[in-house]
Amino acid sequence: MDENNLIKMELTVNGEAVSMIVKGGRRLLDFLRDDLHLTGTKEGCGEGECGSCTVHLDGQSVLACLTPMERAIGCSVLTIEGVGSPTNLHPVQAALLDEGGVQCGMCTPGMVMSALDLLERNPDPTIEEIIEGISGNLCRCTGYKKIIYGIQQAAQELQAASPAGTVKESVE
Amino acid sequence: MKLRGIGVGSMMYGLGYGFARPDFSTTDIELAPDGTVTIWNGASELGQGLQTLLCQLVAEELGIPYEDTFIITADTGRTPDAGPVSASRSTYVQGNSALKACRDLKKPMAELAGELLKTDPDQLIFKKGLVQDQNEPSRSISFTNLAGGMHQRGRRVRGSGYHSITTGDVDKETSQGDAYATYAWASQLAEVEVDTETGQVTVLRLASATDAGKAINPKMVEGQIEGGAVQGLGFALMEDMKIEQGEFKNAKLSTYLIPTAADVPMVEPLIVEVYDPTGPYGAKGVAEPATIPTAPTIFNAIANALGQRVRFTPATPEKMLKLLGKLEEKEEQITIEDMPYPEP
Repeated sequence: MDENNLIKMELTVNGEAVSMIVKGGRRLLDFLRDDLHLTGTKEGCGEGECGSCTVHLDGQSVLACLTPMERAIGCSVLTIEGVGSPTNLHPVQAALLDEGGVQCGMCTPGMVMSALDLLERNPDPTIEEIIEGISGNLCRCTGYKKIIYGIQQAAQELQAASPAGTVKESVE
Repeated sequence: MKLRGIGVGSMMYGLGYGFARPDFSTTDIELAPDGTVTIWNGASELGQGLQTLLCQLVAEELGIPYEDTFIITADTGRTPDAGPVSASRSTYVQGNSALKACRDLKKPMAELAGELLKTDPDQLIFKKGLVQDQNEPSRSISFTNLAGGMHQRGRRVRGSGYHSITTGDVDKETSQGDAYATYAWASQLAEVEVDTETGQVTVLRLASATDAGKAINPKMVEGQIEGGAVQGLGFALMEDMKIEQGEFKNAKLSTYLIPTAADVPMVEPLIVEVYDPTGPYGAKGVAEPATIPTAPTIFNAIANALGQRVRFTPATPEKMLKLLGKLEEKEEQITIEDMPYPEP
């Protein structure tokens, strides 16, 4: 670490190798949004309460606002930009739209990342398990119901598409 | 002991600003040579679905597919003033101005169609992608061809609609008179469980019936009703705005708690459609009407469960235990008169 606190960030982001020298000592959220311009990951509260900055770090869902950027060196990060695209939505994204689970959209990226994490661990969750899975993600618009049903619908579709498959395969 | 109760709450709400306060919207619309239209409106899309709604209204009014509409909102360089997004007025005021913009654009379109079809422009209707003589359906031209023709001949391809619901006023003495342009109604029904040991109030079921006039997009109306009820639930049971000398003391999500998915029931929305002749296709706003009755509904259910009335918000476990006499009041309630006046 030099006097400008420059560090080398070498990691994989959304399947692509990233290597860049940037100012260290910041949050993973800042690295993703300010350095990589991956602004799909939202900052809601910045204190680990709302879940809108949820990303996956080596397959685990983490809050990018509470994760030091150095923690991601050598890891694989998955953000919302690595999950489907506007023309090829992931089943979770398509189901949220279909059910009406998106209003202002601020919570949506984090909600999708939490849902993917849940479905990875539990491909066939009950309504109660879905509620528990997204209880760390705040939504002020929808009242949650349409999000919960959207995730349930996506789970059923993913199960039907590949009963033995995992959510990770559906992302890649 | 866990006690259950059922409660009902209802409300009437004046839409828009009322009381002679300026309440208007302007929408512009432009026809492209390929038959698509672009809508300009100064209001903000906050996730409530205003853009979808205005595109739906315009598509319906012009008889074209929804996909052929484009919208630009809240761009002060390009969009005309639509007034704020507040007072549950967007559908009602901005929607009406969008319909008026369509009708303004239909005038020159009908004139040209009348010339081409050799028919009376007043007899033309815009439906299913056609501009058609309603008495002689064989006389018709596609909306797309007509749009091309409008541009070829340099006809007016822009429309503008201004709609105002600014009311008169009420009598200062009697408060009688022209208060609001229209009113919305809503009722909710809740079943709650009160744990008398912990003071926790759990809403087991919550049904919300809201008068939408006409639901232009039923799924979005449901979203407003469900989200509104959950905000109302937060107001009733969780959201404690602590203000000291004009300063928020808990302006953080870690200290100002709002409902999570685990705190709320699956709200059961009921869309009531009582056609409002002053609304766009009979529609009116549902945003605040869906939020307002929730707290009284929950408090009525608590009263039904305990036989004791809650006269404070939010009904947090701590305050409920005080109400039940299981927790001693530690500090005196400070009244406005007792508050120290801040030093200048």
